[in-house]
Amino acid sequence: MTYLLASGVLAAAKPVIPDYGTATPCVTHNGMFCTSWFLHQWPDVFGPALVQHIMLTVIAVVIGFILAFAAAIYAYRHNWAGPPFAGIAAFLYTIPPLALFELLVPLTGLSTLTVEIALVAYTLLVLYRNVLTGLQEVPPDIKRAAIGMGLTRTQILWRVELPMAVPAIVGGLRIVTVLTISLATIAAFVVDAGLGAPILKALQSPFNTQFIGAGALAVLLALAADGLLLLLGRALTPWARSRKAF
Amino acid sequence: MLSRRQLVRAAAIGVAGAVPLAVSGCAGATSTSKRGGMITIGTKEFTEEWVLGELYAQALEARGYQVQVKNNIGSTEIIDRALKAGRIDVYPEYTGVVLQVLAKRSKLPKTAHETYRQAKAFEERRGMTMLQPTPFQNKDAVAVTKDYAEKHHLKTVADLRKLGTIYFGEYPDNIESSTGYSGLVKTYHLPNVKVKSLNIGLQYKALEKGAIQAADVFTTDPQLARSNLVLLTEPKNLFGFQNVAPVVRKDVYHRHPAEVWHTLNAIDALLTVKAARAMNRAVAVNRLSPSQVAKKFLQVNQLL
Repeated sequence: MTYLLASGVLAAAKPVIPDYGTATPCVTHNGMFCTSWFLHQWPDVFGPALVQHIMLTVIAVVIGFILAFAAAIYAYRHNWAGPPFAGIAAFLYTIPPLALFELLVPLTGLSTLTVEIALVAYTLLVLYRNVLTGLQEVPPDIKRAAIGMGLTRTQILWRVELPMAVPAIVGGLRIVTVLTISLATIAAFVVDAGLGAPILKALQSPFNTQFIGAGALAVLLALAADGLLLLLGRALTPWARSRKAF
Repeated sequence: MLSRRQLVRAAAIGVAGAVPLAVSGCAGATSTSKRGGMITIGTKEFTEEWVLGELYAQALEARGYQVQVKNNIGSTEIIDRALKAGRIDVYPEYTGVVLQVLAKRSKLPKTAHETYRQAKAFEERRGMTMLQPTPFQNKDAVAVTKDYAEKHHLKTVADLRKLGTIYFGEYPDNIESSTGYSGLVKTYHLPNVKVKSLNIGLQYKALEKGAIQAADVFTTDPQLARSNLVLLTEPKNLFGFQNVAPVVRKDVYHRHPAEVWHTLNAIDALLTVKAARAMNRAVAVNRLSPSQVAKKFLQVNQLL
């Protein structure tokens, strides 16, 4: 144990230096991809980073979708609101991501909140445009038929217009999800989370396996998310499938 | 086959379930809170700091405190602002750096102890305090490749004067500093030495590639053992003394039990140069994560 000397400086206790083992030749020579090291670090480093990354992305896309969806429906009903909404979303979209993160830090701190605000800001433009365009492109004949059947405006929106807009909406979601997955790697500048964290930490003493491991996970995550949304879009629009299945 | 409505509802429920999970899934906040609440530890942008942060955090967590670590906050000035603003409560800092970067001193004390004393006094005037310093120092030094040193017969920093225009790799914090690039040029009269701003850790590659001929390095850098570099002697002791001592805001210091600060002091007392190099090496060479490295060190020293 330690004790204070009269001078107020601690006497150094004798530390036990742990044996950290020896690095494999692949790790020592910074090979292209050291699989055994990657698997060894999966439970402590890459697994948690992947889960955090998925969470960052899902929260941002869900909140962004709720906001953009509400704004698009409002703009669809009230023509005046279209241009200002689009203007705000476009303005947010043009801010360089790193600058936006840094601008938010004084306001919301080095927190997940900061990251999410920025990520949500980048989802709005594409989602808003796609939902609105999807609604506007429903053929007028169909709308007239729905009115003729005695449906109210709200019924038409939910039963006719939105289902017709699903392909456009899912298309927007696919773009935004892939965008958010890549932007969320920059979040590591603000919070020590997500797949950007191992990349950022390996910058000082470059280690290929760490770059490639984290980078490949981000790419695979983007592909998987894109594929899932594609399937979701198909499941939501059974009428759009070919009738050859009979 | 599910109907479309059921599918939409299932998707909505799935998403709604995921959000609170994510919000509650904050790292490391599982231990019971003691009086004083959450302690937020910040670290600067390099390996040694991350290991220190993990050592402090894991030891405190094991004693039942609520701790979160914010790694990689940035340079001295940035992390100092974060501490003043209350975004972090404590972070490991180098005694000489406090005087050089924050107090903007051009003249540094002549001993390690005096450096610590003055750094602590400076921090105390600004509403912070410093805990006990580590035995190890991580000082700046000027490195050149072995081949280059032999070819041009370089022994001391002053020998750089004999060369033509050369480039010196320096981290952004330390370019304008009287105890960094600017100070070197002035003290040793090196008008031929131009600066290249490189973030900490990138200077080794640049030296190997020949993009720079000399660089500011740290004495506990594990790369020094690995690569073909030599350190030039620096007779005028411009770089000063650099022990580590945690900087804490005074309000935080008084809010938490003394056990918290005793724990950090006990850890720091164990950090000899050998221990610091071994841990830096485990991160840089064995590529273990700072948290794994810290955990093992705490375990073998019976601090967990």
